[in-house]
Amino acid sequence: MRQLIESQSDETFILNLGPQHPSTHGVLRVKLQLDGEYIVEAEPVLGYCHRMHEKMGENRTFAQFMPNCGRMDYLSALAYNHGYVCAVEKAAGIEVPERAEWLRVITVELNRISSHLLWFGAYLLDLGGFTPLLYAFDDRERLLDILDTVTGSRLTYCYFRFGGVYNDIDENFVPAVREFVARMRTRLPMYHKLVTKNIILMKRLEGIGPVSAEMVRKYGATGPVARGSGVSYDVRKNEPYSVYPEVDFDVPVYSEGDSMARYKVRMDEIEQSLRIIEQGLNRLPEGPVMAPKAPKILKPPKGDFYQAVEAARGSFGVRLVSDGTNTPYRLKLRSPSYSNLSLFGEAAQGMLIADAIALLGSLDLVIPEIDR
Amino acid sequence: MIRDKIKKEMAALSPVAMLETEHAAKGYDLDVRVSPDQVVAAAEIMDRAGFFIEAVTGVDWLLEAKAAPPKPKAPSEAGEQPEGGGAAEEAAPTAPEMEVVYDFNIASELCRVVVRTRIPRDNPELPTIQQVYPGANWHERETHDFFGIKFVGHPNLTPFLLPEDADFHPLLKG
Amino acid sequence: MVDYFKELIGGTISLATGLWITFKYMWQPVITLQYPRQSVKMTRRHRSHIELARDSETGEVKCIVCGMCQRACPSNCITVIGEKSEGAKKKVLTKYILNYNTCSLCGMCVENCKPEAITFSDEYNMAGYRKEDFIMDLKKRFDEKNPKSAAATHNVAGGLKEDITRTSSN
Ligand code: SF4
Ligand code: SF4
Repeated sequence: MRQLIESQSDETFILNLGPQHPSTHGVLRVKLQLDGEYIVEAEPVLGYCHRMHEKMGENRTFAQFMPNCGRMDYLSALAYNHGYVCAVEKAAGIEVPERAEWLRVITVELNRISSHLLWFGAYLLDLGGFTPLLYAFDDRERLLDILDTVTGSRLTYCYFRFGGVYNDIDENFVPAVREFVARMRTRLPMYHKLVTKNIILMKRLEGIGPVSAEMVRKYGATGPVARGSGVSYDVRKNEPYSVYPEVDFDVPVYSEGDSMARYKVRMDEIEQSLRIIEQGLNRLPEGPVMAPKAPKILKPPKGDFYQAVEAARGSFGVRLVSDGTNTPYRLKLRSPSYSNLSLFGEAAQGMLIADAIALLGSLDLVIPEIDR
Repeated sequence: MIRDKIKKEMAALSPVAMLETEHAAKGYDLDVRVSPDQVVAAAEIMDRAGFFIEAVTGVDWLLEAKAAPPKPKAPSEAGEQPEGGGAAEEAAPTAPEMEVVYDFNIASELCRVVVRTRIPRDNPELPTIQQVYPGANWHERETHDFFGIKFVGHPNLTPFLLPEDADFHPLLKG
Repeated sequence: MVDYFKELIGGTISLATGLWITFKYMWQPVITLQYPRQSVKMTRRHRSHIELARDSETGEVKCIVCGMCQRACPSNCITVIGEKSEGAKKKVLTKYILNYNTCSLCGMCVENCKPEAITFSDEYNMAGYRKEDFIMDLKKRFDEKNPKSAAATHNVAGGLKEDITRTSSN
């Protein structure tokens, strides 16, 4: 494939993939320079969903920015909530009660599973398999119901508060989650039988879109993209926050670096998330869900603070520069997909266009998160 | 520990300021402030040590300069201006400045390094590091979008997240 | 050559397994609903647009027109208008305009309301032809739902009725 680029004929042409294209999951546009079916150059064009969340952050109080978090990565909104509240709590020095911490971890992991399930369904749809989506949405629907009972919304959650969570769980939550975990444990082997071992999927993913560990490092890719390339980096392990240090879980790492490896990482992560949730349910202490002394009007001290959390797509970072007032002076939101997508241009060179779709899907992009 | 190694190498650059910070309190371990022409060298150090680039961003310190207007006779008094976001300041900025912040992180151990530099606000220019970290390309482009900071040597500083014809920089203060 | 046949057989088996799973699921109970005819009941905590809560004693709105919700709202979509009639000690709510177009359903207003005068409704099936349909007067909605108190408040509201007719005319 690489030689092809060198012996390039003059007859390349430009093809726009998106901004309205089913496989770009949103409004991503990729400008492809093609030589026949082969990609000579791929240039993602961003900004179709840009809302300038960072500026919005500078214009409202800390609490008022909360709903924005769920609107960046709408598929793992709780992880974004978590990153933001952790950053502000770090800056303001707010202690969070243990029950709230566990509730956060449980709900974030539930959210991670729902995000991976959606990716699983949508990715296979990209690759031409329709049925897995329906299975995935069946499970995801149950999850959304569970999260709805506790957070009050189905997608753009706004559940965490500085010093705790919005409200306590009700008596149905624990049994419902336990039931879901048990059910998911029986569903996962089914997924593997139905999809992972499917010869068509293997042929379409194995060896496609290789991303080397060096490339991951140079582009700052994180999350399943990094772990699929043999880089064992997971913020929950490397930079533990919340109660993750007390939880026993593994970080799935595959070293092949191809789309299949990224697929497997996410499927294994579902299993690990189930483990975390189970431990969380077993260890969920009684007590308040809100810090008693959490101030109503927050005025963190001057300085800058960084907090990273592991969202479903990688490391989500919040850099909070506070000037001692009740609004952030500067709020930098580092979104994982942004870095993950930046390697696409290099990785897609010389690929067949159909394979590039497989690669693009395996990066698990959420465009509003990239554009912010 | 890798932090000490980085510290030693960074010290060779004779940075403006270098501060070990507590991870639990700040979220990063080392805070290095270099002069604008040293960012490439600093990035190379990080690259050699195996760090990956997490983000590049800016901070507009216009309001800080406004809050503490430079006093003509007693420069020592002006030291009460807001702390420059971590790295110790040695003198108050006389003219408004902008800060460019580079976040580096490493997968193998817990060490997050922040490299920052200050450039004058009316002539925001500094060299690009995208030849060291190709991933910085997009981040620098975004920073140019939001702050109008020019990364000299960057191949393509056209609006990225903003509309194609955008001639404003939304994150500038004032 | 051996590999080729191995793959061929293995592949066929994998496809057959997949088909078998699909076949089995074909006989399982249907999990979807026929939407326009059937719909899901929302959970107790579901957050849809906000609504004024009713005081069980007086049957009136609990709102004391303090304006906290208006100030807390990140999207600036609440306008609370109260009136102080002569001789009365407290302000009485006359209009509570919610611009549902920009509401992000975050719940800041509900959290910041001391007398717990607003709650979430569980109405999620909202559709309209114009965005003006979603600039709602919650006070009016409340009165329509609790007709007993309507007469009393309309006296207070006086001539205000006219300019709020746009809100829910369709
Ligand atoms: S905060 Fe509650 S009582 Fe105050 S104006 Fe709003 S709804 Fe009325
Ligand atoms: S839910 Fe949030 S956005 Fe909607 S009216 Fe209340 S405070 Fe405003």
